Order: sequence, then C-alpha cells, then structure tokens
Amino acid sequence: MTVLATFFWGWLLGAALLGFCMGWIAVVHRAQGVSKVWMRWLALLAVALIAASFARIVPGRFGYWLDLFLIMFALYLVGCAIGSWLRDWVVSRSKPAS
Amino acid sequence: MHGLFKWSSKWWPGVIPLVVLWGLAAWSSTATVEADLAARSNAALKDTVLDKRRISVDGRDVTFAANAFSEDGRLSAVASVEVVPGVRLVNDETRLVPEAKPFVWSAERDVVRVTLGGNAPLPASKSKLTEAAKAGLGGVEVADQMALARGAPPRFDTAALLLLDQIGKLKEGKITLTDNKVNLAGMARELGGREAVAAALKNLPDGYSIAANDIKAPPYVFQAYKDPVAVTLTLTGYVPDNNVHAALVAAAGRKFFSEKVVDNLKASIGAPSGFAAAVVPALGALSRLSTGTLVVSDREVKLSGDALYDAAAGQIRDGLGKDFPQGWQYKAEVTVKPAAAPVDPTVCQQLFSEILSKGKIRFESGKADIVPDSAGLLDRLIETAMRCPNATIEVAGHTDSDGEEAANQALSERRAQAVVDYLVRAGLPANRFTPIGYGSTQPLAGNESEDGKAQNRRIEFVVK
Repeated sequence: MTVLATFFWGWLLGAALLGFCMGWIAVVHRAQGVSKVWMRWLALLAVALIAASFARIVPGRFGYWLDLFLIMFALYLVGCAIGSWLRDWVVSRSKPAS
Repeated sequence: MHGLFKWSSKWWPGVIPLVVLWGLAAWSSTATVEADLAARSNAALKDTVLDKRRISVDGRDVTFAANAFSEDGRLSAVASVEVVPGVRLVNDETRLVPEAKPFVWSAERDVVRVTLGGNAPLPASKSKLTEAAKAGLGGVEVADQMALARGAPPRFDTAALLLLDQIGKLKEGKITLTDNKVNLAGMARELGGREAVAAALKNLPDGYSIAANDIKAPPYVFQAYKDPVAVTLTLTGYVPDNNVHAALVAAAGRKFFSEKVVDNLKASIGAPSGFAAAVVPALGALSRLSTGTLVVSDREVKLSGDALYDAAAGQIRDGLGKDFPQGWQYKAEVTVKPAAAPVDPTVCQQLFSEILSKGKIRFESGKADIVPDSAGLLDRLIETAMRCPNATIEVAGHTDSDGEEAANQALSERRAQAVVDYLVRAGLPANRFTPIGYGSTQPLAGNESEDGKAQNRRIEFVVK
C-alpha cells in the first residue's frame, strides 16, 4: 500500500481534492440525498469489496484495479469529510456576523 | 457527527468523476506498475542461482517460474520475491532441476569442433567448462550442449576440467564421465599423446576411476625418399631413440653410395617392436631402386619405385619380407625402369670407373662374401653392363699387401669370381666376364697406411 501511495500520489491527491470539493458543495447543496436503505446497501457493498481486497481473491489486474479503486474511494471520502466540515465551520462562523 | 452523516448522503455525485479518475489511473498505471515490479523481482533474485528463470507480472501478482538447484535455494528464491515491496501475490511455479541418474558428462572432438554434452551441475560450472575448453583448445570451435542437472558426483568440476585438458591431446575422440567412471576413446594427436593422457589420468580426484581407455596412438611413420635428380636420400618421420637414429643414418650412408642423406628424423616413443631390424633391410631394398619411396607405418612397410632391371625387381619384391621380424607386413610396388640406350664399350668403361669411384664393392673381412650394403652399387654396375651387350669385361680383384702373397692372390680371385657370379645371377651371360685376381701386385696407393690399404682392396671393371 505504501508503495502504491508513493507511486501514485498524483492520482490519490486528485481523488482527495475531488472529495474535498464535493464535501464543500454538499453542505449547501439542495439535491436529493441518498436514502438510509441505500446507504446501508452501499456500505455493505463497500465492506464486501474491502473484504475481497484483503482476502486477495480477485486475481491479476482486476485485483490491482480493485485495490486502486478502494484507496481512491477512501481518500475521496476523507476529502469529502474534511470539505464538509470546513464548509460547515465557515458557514456557522459567518452566520452570527450577518 | 450527525451533520457529517447528513452531508454524506449528498456526496454521491462526486463518485461519477471519481470513477472516471479511477479509470484513467488504471489505464495509465497498469503497465508501469507491472514493469516496475518485474524489475524489482529480478533485482531481488540477482544473486540467486537458478535456471530458466521467468518472471511475469499481472497487475501486482508475480508468476515466478524457475528451476532451482536445491530445495533450500528454491524456497529462499520464492521468499525473496514475496518480500519485494508492492508484490501482492506470488504464483510459485518453481521446480527443482531434474536429477540425472547416472550423471553423464561428455566432451567429443571431431575434425572441426569440440562438443561438450551431457549434464553440468550448475550454470557456473557449465560456463567454467566452456571457457576452459575455449582457452585450452586455442581457436577450435567449442559447442556447448550441456544441460543442467542435479546429482553430480563430488569434485565434478576438478575431474571434468582435467578430462577437458586431455581432449586437447586427441585428434578425434570422446571422453565420457558417467557418475565417477571415465571412458575414453579416440586417436591421440601426436605420438606419445596416448601415454601423456594415461599419465594425466592418474591425477583424477579421489573416487574417480577409469572404466575404459581405448585411445589409440597415431601411426608410427618413417619415410625415405630417394631422389635421382637431386641425388639425395631424404629421411623423415620418427625413430625410437638417438641410438637407432644414428644406426639408421649410418646404414643409409653405407647403402646409398652416391646420394647425400638428408636427415629430418625425430625421436619419439611408441615405435613398434623390431623397428630397426625392419627398417635397415627396407632401406637396402630402396637403395637398389633408381627412384623410390619407402613408407613404414606402424608394422607395415610399403616400398614403391623403379628397379634398374627385371631380375632386381623380382628380388626386391620377393626377398625383403623374409628378413622382417614377426608381425611385419611388406608391400612392394616395384616396376622396372625403361632400359637406358646402348652405348659404346668405351663409354661403358667410363661409366664403370665413375660408379666405382663413388663407391666400392665390399666384402666380409678376409672372405669372398659380398656384403648386402653393396647391392645398390652392384645393381648400377649390372645396369651399365647391360648397356654395352657386346663388350667383354674383365672383373679384376685386388688386395692389400697384408698376409701371405699366395693367400692374397687366392682371395682376389675368389672375390672377382663372387662378383661375376653375382652378375650372372642377375641375368648377364657368363661368357662376357673374365674374373682375374691380381693379389697385391697392382697397388693404387702405398700399403703403409690404413687409408692406402683400403684403396688397394678393390674390384675393377675393365672393358676389353
């Protein structure tokens, strides 16, 4: 993993920035959110993919692509969380001022 | 925390560009990752001795196939690939190098090349043997057809290098090492090579033994060529030692009275038994030919050339083999030289004098027996006598003044008679020759010195 991170830091940084932007937007976005049921299913899918990655049952290139996706997705989520939290902090600071 | 959960339900639109980004990353990086991991795996195996190593990378999974030379080596090779950073899985397709039983190694030499075959225990010893063959054989093509196998006997390299050294001493042949038994076959390059190989094989490492040594020595060749134009006798080839060498050259000097002896002989071991006893009479037969070649190869004597007259050809063909030691073979291809043109009796006299000035008919000391060394000279005299068929010839015997005059007279007469008998046996009519003995009454030189006496002991041919 460490080797992958050093090798592809550009792509991973891209995923994290994408997540940051999405998180930044999400706080004030008025779009329909994903339902709780869907969230559960998606979480289950994520757990299944992570389990498959750790068990190394996906062979060859597909295994590599799965690992790559999971890392990028994890960084995306981290970026989203940071982006949303920062935006919320900025929004809540500006409100009392107005 | 609640807020984070609330916001996360709205994070999904970013997944679409994320998937696009992922696709781009996968598309551009896969080949790079695979090449990088292959290079790292090969680097990790750099110091491991393996045969037929093959590494292929699929994603981050390394398929590693190789032949290892021991189980420990195989396991450590797999382990060293597994710990290469970035490698996810190792598909282990390694095997042990097959074990050869019996373990056979061979070196074969033919006209153009040396072929190394059979098995070698390690790539290092394989290349060491190939390099040693190239260095030791100087310019001969070396073909390496050795396979790798386990199961070599201990100290294999030392034994194989020693045997490789021996292949240089062969003209052609094959040396095979089967486990620790050595088989040799072929022909030595030089005389003495067979013995040198046998001596070197005594240095084989402990535990190695010789199962069969069928190396043959090259033929032991002696040649003599009588050249009537250059008036030389050329001796080439081998003689057993310096004593035989000197004896042969001395015999050639006596038998070839007018030719200069060119001595190109070399001493070498390996002569067949009875060499000198066969070669000396064979040289005598050659001396009777006008032009001819004598080839002695091992125990086979071949004489070819032109005799001076018919009876001589018959004598040479039939007579020589009888003198040879047991086991020797004799082949004569003797033809007769075309008869020379007849000449006047006066020319005949000149020719006789000329021949007898170069050499003398010799007899056993105090007897009337002509020595075999004079056969060549007598043949020349007979040939000359045939050229003047109408001349009558006085064969005159002379002695020195030692001993009683009556005895000398009788000896000179008997010697003259012996010469006439010889001429008649050669086919000349007896009535053309008159044997006369002069005892010591007509000396050519003073009888005080040995040199003078030797000049006075003589046979003269006088045309009447």
